[in-house]
Amino acid sequence: MSVNDFWTPFELYSFLNALFIGLSVASIWLVAALGLTIIYGTMGVINMAHGEFIMLGAFSTYVFQTQLGVPFIVCIPLAFIVVGLFGWVIERLLIRSLYNRPLDTLLATWGLSLILIQVVRLTFGAAPLYVAVPAWLDFQVDLEILHLSGLRLFIMVVAVLLVVLTWYLMYRTTWGIRVRAVMQDKEMAASFGINTDRVYSITFAYGAGLAGAAGAMFGALKTLFPDMGSGYIVEAFLVVVVGGIQLAGSVLSALILGQLNSIFSYFTNDTFARFVLFSLIVIFLRFRPQGLLTEGLKRR
Amino acid sequence: MKQSLYQNRKAQWAAYLAVFALLAMVPLYFDNPFVINQIARYTVMAMLAVSVSLVWGYGGILSLGQGLAFGLAGYGMAMTMQMQYQNPETDPIPSFMLTNELDYLPWLWEPFWSTPVGLFLTLAVPTAIFMGIGILMFQARVAGVFVAIMTLAILAAWYSMAYDMQPYTAGFNGISPPLPFQIFGYLIDPYGAPAFWICVAFLALLTCGAKFLMQSKFGLVVQSIRDDAERARFLGYNVAYYQVLLFTLSGFIAASAGLCWVMVVQYVSPTSLELSLSISAVVWAAVGGRLSLMGAILGAFLVNGIQSYMGDELQQIWMIILGFIFIGVVLFLPRGLIGVVEKIFSGKAATTDAKVIAQVREVA
Repeated sequence: MSVNDFWTPFELYSFLNALFIGLSVASIWLVAALGLTIIYGTMGVINMAHGEFIMLGAFSTYVFQTQLGVPFIVCIPLAFIVVGLFGWVIERLLIRSLYNRPLDTLLATWGLSLILIQVVRLTFGAAPLYVAVPAWLDFQVDLEILHLSGLRLFIMVVAVLLVVLTWYLMYRTTWGIRVRAVMQDKEMAASFGINTDRVYSITFAYGAGLAGAAGAMFGALKTLFPDMGSGYIVEAFLVVVVGGIQLAGSVLSALILGQLNSIFSYFTNDTFARFVLFSLIVIFLRFRPQGLLTEGLKRR
Repeated sequence: MKQSLYQNRKAQWAAYLAVFALLAMVPLYFDNPFVINQIARYTVMAMLAVSVSLVWGYGGILSLGQGLAFGLAGYGMAMTMQMQYQNPETDPIPSFMLTNELDYLPWLWEPFWSTPVGLFLTLAVPTAIFMGIGILMFQARVAGVFVAIMTLAILAAWYSMAYDMQPYTAGFNGISPPLPFQIFGYLIDPYGAPAFWICVAFLALLTCGAKFLMQSKFGLVVQSIRDDAERARFLGYNVAYYQVLLFTLSGFIAASAGLCWVMVVQYVSPTSLELSLSISAVVWAAVGGRLSLMGAILGAFLVNGIQSYMGDELQQIWMIILGFIFIGVVLFLPRGLIGVVEKIFSGKAATTDAKVIAQVREVA
């Protein structure tokens, strides 16, 4: 960056393209934040290893693709299953004993993320790896106002599908009713005969699985590194918190934050946009700690 | 109930003074400049851990942004040292600016021509920023996890700035001042005993000051806020006022650590603003025992010491070991290693771990 050309002048077509890029950024952040929303929203667990779950999704996709020759589109549900199972095990072994201690889950899952990064680094080496983008996604949309790769469009579509799937599970199934009951009042739900332990472990597994599916797509979008997860974790947390820790809130906040990010980047540059955006979020949280959509809860 | 030796204040002060005296004697026993520098670095890290212990252990505020004060102070110190090297007449602009096509000295850098002003800004700016953040958060009664996430966001924002403003901060490469820090005409060799003693003096003064403060009424109110902010509020205490002051103080301690750090490593880069450093500081405090300042110091020395003296083969799996240590401490030793010491001294644990866990639950 040179000092003189800091501000980009406004120009309609490229600005409209920036808005499309904003949509793409929003879809990526949303996919990254979806699992976190479920996990944090249901059990109040601050999962700092969420970024590493994404990373595991990306690396398992790499393994399926190169070792077993599984097509990319099948890798996404496979990554979902693999990371979901892993999350289930982690919930059983670690998270289980830390409910009601949210700050401690934050620390313990940070420890977990250190372990995961290093284990993957020792297994795969530190050299960058790539997930091959399938031929049918390897195209570029070039309209006057829109320049986007096929993969980014694909991520947008999958983001919508994942949101719909999650919405359906949470609001249209018995399991979803149980989850929401546990969310509102764990003791009361338990006294109505809901097995809260089971709800917790399955919810955690589902959230982890969503991270895995996100990882499968991010692996195709970017290079695979053992510490690639740290690139998503902060944004994902901010999307969740700004949204008010609920599904619709996360969708809305991902859209708003993604667009703002892209608009700020358009006028300045990526990192300065990040600075402005994060500062705005901090100020926003000062006035609405409950997030965008949630009604004001009890303040403590 | 009879007070154990661990809780005896005189015994505590004696232990603190003994530890600092022992630490200060290190250069008398080791001649190896490398070892002295290494231990000076641990001392600085211990300072950062003390700032975490103060704000988290005593105040119940989990800040993931302690590295912000550390890093900003580091940049301030590096700028001061860089400008000591520059000559106003012949060579007024640091070379990395010239390679970034910046042919004048930015106004941000101008005050650093003067070493006293530079040192003042190095400590004052991060402290003031922490006060601002504290006012922003605690006036709004933000607590618990939200503090962690907000400090995280602020840290990430500044990290990207330091990274991106290449003409002003040398970006990814960081600033490495060509000469060590110079004061009263002396060059302070980062590998010498004076630099070491400055670090130890900072650590001892700040820790004793913090301990003194925590034993005063101020400290008791702060701890009562940690245990139940709502009750403290009902008793008529201005909770936000105490929290802001405590947070500002922790920012000052972290800034002092940043200053000393650049003095002993002669280099600063955006890595000091990375999330991993801030969380590592939390790890040190947790491992040693966040409810005790000495525990935090112990944790910092122990974790950093093990890390640097482990063999090359083990270096590979160090992160894995650290991760397991950390999970183990969170699960089984919520009071950290110092909790074990407390148990030994009091024979029967005065406060059982179960009680602590219940207490931690309430805090959270």
